[in-house]
Amino acid sequence: MLPTSSSPQSTLLTGPAAWWDTLIASTKKELLIMLRYPVEFVASFAQVFLIVIILTLAGLMFSENGVRSEGNSTMAGLVIYGFILFMFLSDTLWGIGYNVRREQKQGTLEQLYLSPASKFLTMLSRITITLIWTGSLCILSAMLMSAMIGRLPFANLPLGLLILTLALSGTFGTGFAFAALTLRVREAGQTIANLAQFAFMVLCAPFFPFSALPEWLQNVSRVIPLSYGVDAFRSTLMGFPNGYPELAPLGVEIAIVVAFGLAMPVLGFWLYQREEDHARKNGSLSEY
Amino acid sequence: MTATTYKPPTPGQQLSALLAETRLRMLNISRYPGQLVMEIIIPIVFAAMPMLLGRATAGADAGANFKANTGTANYVAFLLIGSNVFTLVSNAFWHIAYWLRFEQETGTLEAVYLTPTSSLTLASGVALYSVIRGLVAALLAYFVGCLVFRVNPFEGDIVLALAFIVVGLIPLYGIALLFGALVLKVKESNALINLMQWGVGFLMGIFFPITVMPPFVRFVALLFPPTWMTNGVRSALLGVGFFFGQWYLDWAVLWAFLLIVPLFSFWAFNRVEGNLKRNEGVGQF
Amino acid sequence: MNGQVIVENLTKTYLTKQRKGLFKSEEKKVEALKGVSLEIKPGEIFGLLGPNGAGKTTLIKCLTTLLLPTSGRAVVNGYELTKQDNAIRATVGCMLMGERGLYWKLSGRENLVFFGALYHLRPAARQQRADEIIERLNLGEIADRAVETYSSGQKMKLAFAKALINDAPLLILDEPTNTLDLPSAHELRAVVRDLNRQGKTVIYTTHIMSEAETLCNRVAIVDRGEVLALGTVDNLKASLGREAVIRIEGVISTEASQAVGRLPGVSRAVAAATNGHSQLTVVAQDQAATLPRVIETLAAYKAVMQKITPEEVTLEDVFIARTGRTLADDTRVK
Repeated sequence: MLPTSSSPQSTLLTGPAAWWDTLIASTKKELLIMLRYPVEFVASFAQVFLIVIILTLAGLMFSENGVRSEGNSTMAGLVIYGFILFMFLSDTLWGIGYNVRREQKQGTLEQLYLSPASKFLTMLSRITITLIWTGSLCILSAMLMSAMIGRLPFANLPLGLLILTLALSGTFGTGFAFAALTLRVREAGQTIANLAQFAFMVLCAPFFPFSALPEWLQNVSRVIPLSYGVDAFRSTLMGFPNGYPELAPLGVEIAIVVAFGLAMPVLGFWLYQREEDHARKNGSLSEY
Repeated sequence: MTATTYKPPTPGQQLSALLAETRLRMLNISRYPGQLVMEIIIPIVFAAMPMLLGRATAGADAGANFKANTGTANYVAFLLIGSNVFTLVSNAFWHIAYWLRFEQETGTLEAVYLTPTSSLTLASGVALYSVIRGLVAALLAYFVGCLVFRVNPFEGDIVLALAFIVVGLIPLYGIALLFGALVLKVKESNALINLMQWGVGFLMGIFFPITVMPPFVRFVALLFPPTWMTNGVRSALLGVGFFFGQWYLDWAVLWAFLLIVPLFSFWAFNRVEGNLKRNEGVGQF
Repeated sequence: MNGQVIVENLTKTYLTKQRKGLFKSEEKKVEALKGVSLEIKPGEIFGLLGPNGAGKTTLIKCLTTLLLPTSGRAVVNGYELTKQDNAIRATVGCMLMGERGLYWKLSGRENLVFFGALYHLRPAARQQRADEIIERLNLGEIADRAVETYSSGQKMKLAFAKALINDAPLLILDEPTNTLDLPSAHELRAVVRDLNRQGKTVIYTTHIMSEAETLCNRVAIVDRGEVLALGTVDNLKASLGREAVIRIEGVISTEASQAVGRLPGVSRAVAAATNGHSQLTVVAQDQAATLPRVIETLAAYKAVMQKITPEEVTLEDVFIARTGRTLADDTRVK
């Protein structure tokens, strides 16, 4: 016989303790799964390094002495700080957004919905993993790039970190919104994620100054809040060299980034809950 | 009761099975037109990254600096060639190496192995589909990219460039099959293929000449057919310079790869396959 | 109504697209549940019996909050469906989707502990509960291996184990013995009986008639989104009244079966192919009077009768009597 609990409530957590426990358990689960793909673990570091080296060497081909060029602090700041935000957006799209699809295919999405645990907390666990994992990759990549193209400028660090935090918050909210989209479009989410990634690469100018884009494209960039995140973040840390920030005055950019960082997570999660209801109405939670 | 006598498939039957596989893949991808469009856009966007950075930081000296470092001032074509050859490499890895693992994961690999058609025939069918898809995407992306960035896409010796591509494709798919065998064994397909494609992308000098690499790395790069393909196309169209100075010498090297690499890859693949059948079976994932 | 589960007029309608050509598709309305009403009493094992596509899983998914019903009302463990969904989830243990729904890279034990966390069990409690379940279900040998290494049957057992992690008063098991071998299926049913003796209410869906007959206190026969009959097994069998069942095995053509169906006194004649030959099930008013006429008719159609068995009524016979089809028929809307 299986023993049953004589007072079931005594074995249950409630309130904030329950939320915290769910967050820890979900984060631990994701971490365990990640570590059990050892090739992926190693490959993701190696892949990032290769991409960094490829893009850096490509950029150096335009320098007067090519790979023997002396360090260029502005170029380093432009590329590396933009790269950091690009990494987070990419990992958010795939790790938070498309992860819903992975759970759906595996059949575990329905299992999560059978439990009373908060869906927001399971999403938050993905954010925790992204922060740890992508954060580590960004630091290591920044060190490598810095060694290749120039010393990283570190002016206005507190303001820079604040802008980064808000930009990341907005990015994570975008991830929630993308998770909502993935619930609706399922496998087509992969194509859309690729498209979004590449649109970001062009329109949010993470690897080059906005001035390199034609004027009409710059106007499109101005419509995307994340562009201001990229511009404000790197301009701040580069110490506002001439012409930076590029898209709008700093005060305006910071206001946009604050609004984006506060509103997007709320909007993104609201969209996700809407799609959840839609999926429960049409029975697509388990479709794979 | 009359015993049925088995007759091995004729070349015609093998070809028919090969073409059936190709047709199946074509039908499948036709249901995802967005993906096909992405394959044209992605190489252009990818090549645009260093281009825009370079132009912004070097300004009016961009062309001159680029010529000093690579042998040509036409950085648009140089970068587009690199990203489009990379598209071919990427397609080869994802369509061949990942195809095997995908069939294993979904359980259809065992079903395939139950038929009298050899897995290598089917792999060839997938390769044919991949070549068609990759070539069309690469050529369109190069053409469109040149138009977007306003350079002449017909500059240089196009026939010679195509000759390098066509001869280079077979050993490229041979390498993909080799990595496919590795993927069957290691099983973490996505991560491995991503790493391999970027590794080869780096070694082939996707956006830079391999002369910028340290000597040992350069030597390793020269062991990969895509390196010779990329440089061959660039030399034919942009005049950056063949590795051995003459086009026919570089082309001969590609022919040597064409003869050796597929044979080695088939041997390696058969060994891995045999190992799997003796141990956990091809369906075990 | 004092039921543990009360369902009132529950409906679920889907809109699906049917391809009509390369670019054309047509919207089609599918009524997966049509006004289902039933009540499940505390402490009973309640069976939902029906063929594939009958609506059993759709009903289960509505009751476990995975699906939003189109209309109707349900109360589960005293909580109102769609209004108190989290409370329902916390008080129900479910086994759905068989072997899917497990994290492949985690071990069995890790899966159980993780899901225990999602049910807000304290860390020590969920470890203990996982250990108890592993021991009871004889999963000890495989519990610490990654789920991706398990066989189908082992994954099913683990999925069942997962349904027990929160020690819920209501257990919902959707075809839990699918893909299990006979000893494992027998063991699982024994555990279900044990749990029921401890006071748990169980909803058990199956398309295997013998399981419903031996395990369930009451059974609802479901077909095409409707409850056709509900009652204890004995009552359902008795509902065929004076009707009797004759089973004939042999080589019987479709025309012969149809001719038998038209005979006076025959309520239904349903043919099925089993193990390479036909089986004709005839439900008739008066077995003694009907049997000679049936044999005569079959002989006239040159049927080969290898075995004639007047039989005790089974639940499948009740199903056949109500629907004209067997439980083996797949009624999923294509």
